[in-house]
Amino acid sequence: MSILANKDTYVVIQGGVAGVNAARRMAEFCYLIKRSLNVLAFVYPPDAGKTNEIPYGSGLVAVPIYKTVAEATKNHPQINTSLVYIGADRAMKGGMEALDDPLIKVVSMITEGVPEKDAKILGRHATKLGKVFNGPSSIGIVSAGSCRLGVIGGAFDNLVLSKLYREGSFGVITKSGGLSNEIIWICSQFADGITTAIGIGGDAYPGTDYVSYLEMFENDPQTKAVVIVGEMGGDLEERAAEWYGAKKRRVKLMAVVSGFCQESLPKGMKFGHAGAKEGLKGEGSARSKSDALKKSGAIVPATFGALGPAIKETYQELLKSGQVKEPVEPAMLPKLPKTIEEAMKADEVMVAPLIRTTISDDRGDEPCYDGYPASELINKGYEIPHVVGLLWDKRLISKQEAEIVKRIMMLSADHGPCVSGAMGTIIAACAGIGLSQSVAAGLIMIGPRFGGAVTDAGRYFKHAVDNKMSVDDFLVYMKKSVGPVPGIGHRVKSLRNPDKRVKELVGYVKSLNIKTPCLDFALEVEKITSVKKDNLILNVDGTMAAVLVDIGFPVDSLNGFFILSRTIGLIGHWVDQKRQDSRLIRLFDYLVNYAAPKRREVPPLK
Amino acid sequence: MAKVLEGPGMGLMKKWGITVPNYVVVTSVDELTKLGQANEWLKKSKLVVKAHEALGSRFKLGLVKVDLDLKGAEAATKEMIGRQVGSVTVSQVIVSEMIPHKEEYYCAVKSTREGTDILVANCGGIEVESNWDRVKRLALEVGQQPSADALEKLAKDAGFTGPLAKKMADFAGKMFTCFDSEDAQYLEVNPVVLREQDSEPIALDAVTLLDGDAKFRHPDWNFAFAAEFGRAYSKHEMEVMAVDSKIKGSVKFIEISGGDTAMLPAGGGASIYYSDAVVARGGKLANYAEYSGDPPDWAVEVLTDKVCSLPGIKNIIVGGAIANFTDVKKTFGGIINGFRKAKSEGKLKGVKIWVRRGGPREKEGLDAMRALKDEGFDINVFDRNTPLTDIVDKALQTK
Repeated sequence: MSILANKDTYVVIQGGVAGVNAARRMAEFCYLIKRSLNVLAFVYPPDAGKTNEIPYGSGLVAVPIYKTVAEATKNHPQINTSLVYIGADRAMKGGMEALDDPLIKVVSMITEGVPEKDAKILGRHATKLGKVFNGPSSIGIVSAGSCRLGVIGGAFDNLVLSKLYREGSFGVITKSGGLSNEIIWICSQFADGITTAIGIGGDAYPGTDYVSYLEMFENDPQTKAVVIVGEMGGDLEERAAEWYGAKKRRVKLMAVVSGFCQESLPKGMKFGHAGAKEGLKGEGSARSKSDALKKSGAIVPATFGALGPAIKETYQELLKSGQVKEPVEPAMLPKLPKTIEEAMKADEVMVAPLIRTTISDDRGDEPCYDGYPASELINKGYEIPHVVGLLWDKRLISKQEAEIVKRIMMLSADHGPCVSGAMGTIIAACAGIGLSQSVAAGLIMIGPRFGGAVTDAGRYFKHAVDNKMSVDDFLVYMKKSVGPVPGIGHRVKSLRNPDKRVKELVGYVKSLNIKTPCLDFALEVEKITSVKKDNLILNVDGTMAAVLVDIGFPVDSLNGFFILSRTIGLIGHWVDQKRQDSRLIRLFDYLVNYAAPKRREVPPLK
Repeated sequence: MAKVLEGPGMGLMKKWGITVPNYVVVTSVDELTKLGQANEWLKKSKLVVKAHEALGSRFKLGLVKVDLDLKGAEAATKEMIGRQVGSVTVSQVIVSEMIPHKEEYYCAVKSTREGTDILVANCGGIEVESNWDRVKRLALEVGQQPSADALEKLAKDAGFTGPLAKKMADFAGKMFTCFDSEDAQYLEVNPVVLREQDSEPIALDAVTLLDGDAKFRHPDWNFAFAAEFGRAYSKHEMEVMAVDSKIKGSVKFIEISGGDTAMLPAGGGASIYYSDAVVARGGKLANYAEYSGDPPDWAVEVLTDKVCSLPGIKNIIVGGAIANFTDVKKTFGGIINGFRKAKSEGKLKGVKIWVRRGGPREKEGLDAMRALKDEGFDINVFDRNTPLTDIVDKALQTK
């Protein structure tokens, strides 16, 4: 048996994130004792209609979220308990809502910093209705082996260590949340563990005091002794002492009280929980409480450290008198499934990776490109082309090579609004499409006829050079097996109207006195083709391709140089249209050759 | 509980219809001189000047001067402003009108478990303490308002008769309204005096404790709360308070001068047991500290920095019970960073560190603490199997 919370306790949690975290902890406990999740509903108006997914074992339980407590209990009539995790400024309203629900018998408020007046009103309202209002500032309530309300009991490992999976003989009532766990642990190590542990909260006027809970424990035959962890301030411990001393009680009372240090502190200096206030003339001091408890017959160890041995002694007496029997531990306890991360850390599982990367690593405090930290590259004077070299070809290119790459990018960053890429972006921008989609619309145009010939040009020039082909053999090969030579030919430029970009790039690369077999070959090809037709010149794609192959970039990366450079221009066009707030555009019909059949009658459907 | 200084305290009483003497709070003589030109009463009345700071025993310290004219008040103001008392510098004085009177009475309202008590006595000043049996009480339940009859009966019980009984009942009623409306926890007027010219009860001095947790519904609480322990907060205490106000969870720090055992425990409950253990062992606390509610590691680091900066410490007690949801590894991470910083600044020389803790990720957290040994820290680490306060015993045994 237990008090307040048991196998029949079903819960609605009022509140957001903190409530969801508590539900996770509660699910761990339910899993340990093999009962289904006892949280049936949440009340959190901003998310009403959705569900919170609570991990239970290796699965997830979807717990519905409602707007009001009434909706929650209407849909889940088993609910009889509410946990309040609502902010201090709205906690009273939430607490009242729960207390006023006819199905709810216990309301435990976890919220801290609730105004004293509100807490008193809630406590009084509960008393009037014959219900229990626990808290505020309560860490929760746990009945070993049957029910956990809130995060009391801590992490899963601690639940097991503190033997919360089965009943013991000790009841626990504490103001402090952290100490509740400590006492539960002590009871499990020095005795057979707990029946129910209750955090009543450290406020000056908790909704329910020691006496009410002592009365409940007195009526719970399984509970043989109750441990109270008190604090200076208020008169709750004195009232407990009064209750205990009033007549012969079935349960043994054990207690410690904190706050003796106040006696030797500078006058007026107080600290601890909100309720830790000493009254005039020493009332509410640790000493007066401790004395009152001792006088009532309670066992009051001199220090907190002496509590364990005292509990042990009480337990031994209970054993001797036959009131309790040594507990039987279950042979096997469920283990909380580990997350993949935990299991991998413990070398317990092997996971086949889904993808493999050889270029970068983001797991440290900054990205590393091919092993080099980005900041170090910056600080040692490296630039964008070097990053391109690292990520596209896994090598640190030279200063000279970087300069070539930079010039290629500068030359192909944009080519005005009329080319297909820019037009695609501009049309999208005018239609109100966002940046990434509009730029993508432009990038889609890059292909065999626009900007996308770099890779192919590089591939065939390289093929020719690698195989030591003559220009003639090359042109025959191309004509036979490929078609027009990629990188040769321009829509508007010609021998008489040369492309300045090509001239510029060729001139620069030639001035460097480096070996450029591909470029040399491409220029030889141009000599022949431009004679055949005046616009069959080496175009910018072909020039880039030949140069990039010459400085060692892999053929498959070559289109990337155009895509990367032209993205700069496409972004520019989108921003430009956006800045002008351009209107939607469409083709004028006079720009269309309507070659479709003339209007005619639709024949009857057969 | 949040203490409010006399000025704002009297302001709240005035708001709810309680007559208080004319008063001004000033930060300089100039201000008082200017106010003197604008306010007749400052020129005509006899004045009282008091240091407007959270200081006990102001009379003894010479920080209360009575029976002054404006010139005298200006002189007293000049003398008091800027005076250093312990860690407090007097920066404000309250100048109020002296109320000539014969009789002194007492009235207070306080929060109780059941509701509210209204206390009235027909003696006042220091006489109340020695005649506590003359204080009569009206106990009200939560949510209950005092009736006029009940208040008058209270006044009569306290020995007031005739029209004065009605006046005191009315005064106590207003005190209750102020208490109830302002989320107060304690209001005390001692003495209540009768103004000679019209026998009007006047609140001559106000002790006001408000519920700081209710600040969210009192936008007109535009005053700062005063330190509750007879001195102002120190710079380090205020820095920790500033952090505390910003974070989830909490960090608390109070300095105690002359101590040599520094406290850095977790939990509002356990921290007191640790302090008790130090005192019981004959140790001297150098501070009170506490972190709880899974605060961010940087906040715990700030707290650690302040603890390590305490002068003359020999031991640091990094105690804690078995946490429910405070992440031990994370919060210890903050403490470890704080320790490293302190060490690099030349602090922690000859200081022994004692650790005991349990809770989520306790093993990782305790291992990280243990590893500090290799960095030259004098640190002793214990887990949940060592009883809570045993580290204090160990710390205070070793020389």
